[in-house]
Amino acid sequence: MTDVKKTYKNYVHGKFVRSESGKVYSIDLKDEKYEIPLTSKKDLRDAVTSSKEGFKNWNQLTMYNRSQILYRLSEMIEGNKDSYISLLQDHGLSKLDSKNDINHAIETIVWYAGFVDKWEQLTGNLNPVAGQYFNISHQEAIGVTFTLSPNSMSLNELVKSILPALTVGCSVINFSDKNAVIALKLSEEVNNSDFPSGSINLISGKFENIIEDVGGHVEIKHAAIYEDISKKSKEVLGQKGSESIKRISLLPSMSGLSSILPFIETKTVWHPKGK
Amino acid sequence: MNSWQYSESIESEKIVNIEKKYGNFIDGKFVTPKSKQYIDTISPSTEKILSSISIGNQQDVDYAVVSAKEGLKKWSKTAPSERAKYLFKLARLIQERSREFAVLESLDGGKPIKESRDFDLPQVAQNFFYYAGWADKLDIAWGNEKYKPYGVVGQIIPWNFPLLMLSWKVAPALATGNTVVLKPAETTPLTALLFAELCEEVGLPDGVFNLVTGDGSTGSHLVNHKDIKKIAFTGSTGVGKYIQKSLAGRDVGLTLELGGKAANIVYSDAALDEAVEGVVNGIFFNQGHVCCAGSRLLVQEDIEEKFIKKLEKRMQTLNVGNPLDKNTDVGAINSKDQLDKIEKLVNEGIADGGDLYQIECELPKNGFWFKPSLFTSVQANYKIATEEIFGPVLTTLTFRTPEEAVEIANNTEYGLSAGIWTEKGSKILWTADRLEAGVIWANTFNKFDPASPFGGYKESGFGREGGRHGLLSYLKVSS
Repeated sequence: MTDVKKTYKNYVHGKFVRSESGKVYSIDLKDEKYEIPLTSKKDLRDAVTSSKEGFKNWNQLTMYNRSQILYRLSEMIEGNKDSYISLLQDHGLSKLDSKNDINHAIETIVWYAGFVDKWEQLTGNLNPVAGQYFNISHQEAIGVTFTLSPNSMSLNELVKSILPALTVGCSVINFSDKNAVIALKLSEEVNNSDFPSGSINLISGKFENIIEDVGGHVEIKHAAIYEDISKKSKEVLGQKGSESIKRISLLPSMSGLSSILPFIETKTVWHPKGK
Repeated sequence: MNSWQYSESIESEKIVNIEKKYGNFIDGKFVTPKSKQYIDTISPSTEKILSSISIGNQQDVDYAVVSAKEGLKKWSKTAPSERAKYLFKLARLIQERSREFAVLESLDGGKPIKESRDFDLPQVAQNFFYYAGWADKLDIAWGNEKYKPYGVVGQIIPWNFPLLMLSWKVAPALATGNTVVLKPAETTPLTALLFAELCEEVGLPDGVFNLVTGDGSTGSHLVNHKDIKKIAFTGSTGVGKYIQKSLAGRDVGLTLELGGKAANIVYSDAALDEAVEGVVNGIFFNQGHVCCAGSRLLVQEDIEEKFIKKLEKRMQTLNVGNPLDKNTDVGAINSKDQLDKIEKLVNEGIADGGDLYQIECELPKNGFWFKPSLFTSVQANYKIATEEIFGPVLTTLTFRTPEEAVEIANNTEYGLSAGIWTEKGSKILWTADRLEAGVIWANTFNKFDPASPFGGYKESGFGREGGRHGLLSYLKVSS
């Protein structure tokens, strides 16, 4: 009997879609070669439109609700653990490394799931101003966020490029290249986890094809990249981004409080005290 | 005309001692600029030349950066508690000499002495005092992660609150262990130069604070210098974009505090007399040369007529004139350039079809002046409703529902500040949640405090100054 081979598609607005351009690039795994959607500029624009709506829907949920949806993502991955382990093995990892990576990814997601309704108690505070005013600084999600996927074959590193922004209420467009099979596989568990459409979009391709548009699209409020992309790419992104004072940050490899700080804006509200 | 006429009450200029010519302050001393280029700094209220300052060139900036790198060696070995003491001492010295600073600020910049004396200087001293205390508590400010300073920081500040902006930049930068090269605005360098004297007086290690005066070209040398690790800029959105573009692809930190076009929303259930005070303060404070000025009045339609009447009546009581007169509410426009910009935009507003109200008052013959102004009958697409005027000009728009107020308020690339006036608490919180702005004043306006973070959303910039959050502008996570 012939095996049925999976077609990997982009995940945009809760749907599995091919590139409108019809173009693909290939990723060779151990036994199989996969054709992956080569995201075009128009695909990116579609993802941003989706992500804009996704931000509205994701950000308006209560923290408790968002927290549970993230936790459900960890449950979904746990349930399909074996398929992830074998996928990572197909990427050349040993069985033990694959298993460890998936376990770490689940732990990372559980950590952030439990952080959704707490981080603001660490980032916000009353400000002791010298006068009769109530003055509070609290934080809001920046909005539509573009994040690069890591080049490493790791589910844990992948979720670390998505979850910090998602945790604080941003919608995320995650863009993968070499690790696209892992990222597009993740879309299946995302799809089963009650995320509102557009809160996570997973697209794949070659960054240099869309980088100018990531920088220039005013609806992308934040772009998070890795240190190891080329200097030229950083320049293009920074130059185009400067036209709308776009926030650009480097994705850290660690989790923790500092991982979410690039994705929030501080809002300070004053009110007089009196009778 | 104004029914209340005050007798003059002029603050004496004798307290200040202005040199004929100033060099740069580098490596702990005043030095002759290598550029050998000078420019006059004048008093905008009289057009009299006050002094001559250097236009720093590439070599001057180089020298300052080398000095800041040397300074960093000493500063990084200085115990945090010792860093704190230098800043505490600076705060004390500023308090002791605040009258001198206030007069100098009003002379050089044109702002009323009432404001430089009662607002700018107390805030400056408090800001150094506040950040002094953080210097030895950085490890408990933001959880258990390790942070470290950037190193040599370049800071470029504007002319609207010269010394206050210096304090917003310099105090947190030094508290966190960075060393500084500061470039003040070309029209208002004098208080920064006096501040440099204080650094000498407190014995701040050489090279920790460096000052290069000059214009945009000097700032550009600073931004593009290869040894600068972080740039902090306050000024126009246009220049902010230029700086971000210049730094693209470079491993240099950046915080930007840029322009604004703040909505001051007055709901019909507001305490109207208080709202009038807040709206007047919101736009006429410091001649409207305030990035967070409440320059768009959004008034609920059913009270528009009544509110505008009250507003015009209150505006007429503003005293415009000599900045050194203690009764002056609105001083001189900072420069001829700025006056030209204001006049151009106001003329466009009239041509577009806006109704202009200006108070009746006599303006001094010399200097740069603009009467407090109010536009009504304005459409949302007029330039006066979208562009930052940065002068004493208020533009009125109306709304019917809270949803519409929020929509109009957010319909701008800017997002620095906003005001809300209503007696209904839940409506304040509902509105505040929806406004895209970094600072929101409810039933008050233009309040500032060193402990309170300040900075914008969207094209008003990124990063915060003030408070615990302001520390993050000068620290990076240490891996």
